[in-house]
Amino acid sequence: MSWWEFWKPKKERLDFVRDFLAGNETPIPGIRSISQLKFTVLDTETTGLDPAKDSILSFGAVKVESMKIQVPTAVEWYPKSGIIPGKAAQIHGLIDIIDQISEEEFVKLLLPYLGDSVLVGHHIGFDLEMIGKIVRPFGIAQMPNPVIDTLNFAVRLEHGPQADLSRIPMGAYSLDELCIRFGIELEDRHTAAGDAFLTAQLFLKLLRLAEKKGIRTYKELLR
Amino acid sequence: MANVIVNRVAEFLRRFPPFSFLGKEDLTRVAQSVEIQYLEKGEIFFRQGEAARPHFFILKEGQIQLVENASDGDQIREICDEGDVFGVLALLGKRPYLLSSKVIENSLIYSVPVAVFEKILEENSRVALFFAAGFAAGQVVVRQDLSQGQKARGEFKNDSGDHSLLIFSDQSAVNFSEKVLTCPPDTSIQAAALQMAEAQVSSIVICDEKSFPAGILTDKDLRSRVLAAGISPEKPVSEVMTSPVITRKKQDGFSNLYLTMIRHRLHHLVLTEDGSDQSPIGGIISDHDVFLSMGNSPAVLIHGLMNTLEIAEMRKIRDRAGQMLEYYLENEVSMEFVASIMTEINDVIIRQALKIVTNQLETDYPNMSSIRFCFLSMGSEGREEQLLRTDLDNAILYEDVPEDLREKTSEYFLKLGEGVVEILLACGFDLCPGKIMASNPEWVQPLSTWKDYFTEWILHPSPESLLKVSIFFDFRSVAGSKSLATELSDHIYQEIGKKQVFLNFLALNAMKNPPPLGFFKDFVVEKSGENQDQFDIKLRAMLPLTDLARLLVLSHQVVGINNTFRRFEKLAELEPNNAELFSQAGKAYEILMRMRALEGLQNKNSGRYINPKSLGKLQRQLLKNAFVPISELQDIVNIRFQLDYFRR
Repeated sequence: MSWWEFWKPKKERLDFVRDFLAGNETPIPGIRSISQLKFTVLDTETTGLDPAKDSILSFGAVKVESMKIQVPTAVEWYPKSGIIPGKAAQIHGLIDIIDQISEEEFVKLLLPYLGDSVLVGHHIGFDLEMIGKIVRPFGIAQMPNPVIDTLNFAVRLEHGPQADLSRIPMGAYSLDELCIRFGIELEDRHTAAGDAFLTAQLFLKLLRLAEKKGIRTYKELLR
Repeated sequence: MANVIVNRVAEFLRRFPPFSFLGKEDLTRVAQSVEIQYLEKGEIFFRQGEAARPHFFILKEGQIQLVENASDGDQIREICDEGDVFGVLALLGKRPYLLSSKVIENSLIYSVPVAVFEKILEENSRVALFFAAGFAAGQVVVRQDLSQGQKARGEFKNDSGDHSLLIFSDQSAVNFSEKVLTCPPDTSIQAAALQMAEAQVSSIVICDEKSFPAGILTDKDLRSRVLAAGISPEKPVSEVMTSPVITRKKQDGFSNLYLTMIRHRLHHLVLTEDGSDQSPIGGIISDHDVFLSMGNSPAVLIHGLMNTLEIAEMRKIRDRAGQMLEYYLENEVSMEFVASIMTEINDVIIRQALKIVTNQLETDYPNMSSIRFCFLSMGSEGREEQLLRTDLDNAILYEDVPEDLREKTSEYFLKLGEGVVEILLACGFDLCPGKIMASNPEWVQPLSTWKDYFTEWILHPSPESLLKVSIFFDFRSVAGSKSLATELSDHIYQEIGKKQVFLNFLALNAMKNPPPLGFFKDFVVEKSGENQDQFDIKLRAMLPLTDLARLLVLSHQVVGINNTFRRFEKLAELEPNNAELFSQAGKAYEILMRMRALEGLQNKNSGRYINPKSLGKLQRQLLKNAFVPISELQDIVNIRFQLDYFRR
């Protein structure tokens, strides 16, 4: 046995990363209609708000395909992190989770699940930063998927694409406020999957609104 | 493992019957399978007469009206509120919707797959009874209260067993006209013809003073009995009418009426009050009416496709074609007929898609439509064997253009290809995992490049190029300029003529998959992976046959026959001493196609993997017999192409 065989198990382990990146290489054609697109609506609960220090406690997501929320695809994962849970964790009641998985297991589940779908979330930039921290050691500098932030999407639909963000009261675009405005019952707040489900319902309604404004294709959606 | 989202859905469902009868496990199973969609006020969710979807629905929020479209306007039959279950007739299987559903207030709709619920229906008698009671009472909405208690399950069962006349989309929905054009017997032929012309109908019924039908005169009669016979148009109609008339009463039911027309070769059937010709006339039914009511006949579907450029409509028609296919397969309609019908339907979809995209691109690329091109289908679609909507394999071939136009042209055809592929996706086809599609720049090329491709594959038959051969050599021109495709075929035969050894490589490739029976004459099943213990009917049985047929046809330099069983037919003609074997191979292929398509329709997948254990004894035997010609053909090829020598 020579020294380089030590590489072998590691390389095999990274096959799923390669598959994921390869799956994202082909861009989605701009003219693809929205009803043909695959979305993953996701949310994370974290130990705090500082991406540098804090880490993911739970990840929840559900897919939207053919303009329908696909409940069979709903997932909820609890990656184990080195950081001792702070106060946020106590609020979420996530102290004693039985189904905790290692970060590696989490990434192994996460990447094939996301595939080449369009990632959707409320204020998703933060979730992506947190996820980015976990996937970076696996050789993914940045998540390659297209992204839609339901916050920006709602602002764009209600104020037009040229809206000046600084002049819009952002309080009106929190997930709670948007849900109330769009008639979505607030349930299971502050669990990752619960928020993902609310965001998915909001997203369905926003897509309908977008359709009325003539947004029908991938290109028009991502602008 | 139930999670927050599934729990949330389950909690909502639990509040309403029949879900309230379910145990925790069943409830989770149902909740886990739900799809959620949102519709806005004014939209129509499903339409009367549309084929039932594999789901039934629970209204989560909003309001939906169930409306009957009648000739005298729409009638509201039911109003659904939160928690109401509707679209349940689908549970009985394969019946079209009797009512349309109109969204009155923005609605969130949960869809539950019928398949998931059917299992529960079998196991949970309370749930079954609940549904049965509703159906027996003719309910269209399953209400939240349980007032209609206990009715027999018998009726329920009878209903679900009946799909014998699936081919007629809705038996009760034959529209016939109650206003019949009539005239008294002493009317002149010319006056009768004038009446027909004014009313724009093809027949007139001759009635006596009591409105009893005495005879009928049709367009055809005017042609053959009046004009051709040189009879004066001044004469009374009674001299040339068909009499007595065959009559039925309208309550006889569609299939009965239709059979009468078939038996008596009638284009028009007169309906009277009591069904005899001694009672007043009440209506007339023409073969055109029958035609329209047979929603799933190929002619109607193709006609429907040709008349729409709406993608959603095309999708619906293609879905109906799937139902028709199932009916044909179950009723052992000849595979050649079925395959050509499905191919025609798929081809029309492609042609319409081309039309749509060409129109869209017109403004941006004004001069491009004059460049000749040819849309090619490959693989199974190219061989006219694609029954299910499996992967797309297609490409675009266009004529060589002057240097200065080259870039613009390639851009145009790539856009065209992309557009067509997107429409096909929306019509329910799947992407080709190997990206052999008209949206891939590699496969949208001018004739000279295509020639180079084939030359390369023929001159350097590497394993990869042999793989491509199996897809690309079965190309078929679907739309556009056929002569380009012919030119390419000619080129291919020239190249093969120059390098005969290519056929030996092809032969070697065709031997790669040995006959699928193991040492003990049992099926060779997949050893690992997600399809473990299943039999790969495509790779192990169909592919060897298509490969062998292609090889032998190429070696005979036969052009223009792509279909595997027609290739075997042709081979039987060319090699009389092997005719028996070839015709067996053709039949085997038909059996395999039928099995795969049925399997695919049942499981809503490609039908590629079959579990031998799930087959009946007869089917197993049939399948095993279908393998016999494979090994015999391989023996012949082995000797003919001297493969034992070649392998060294």
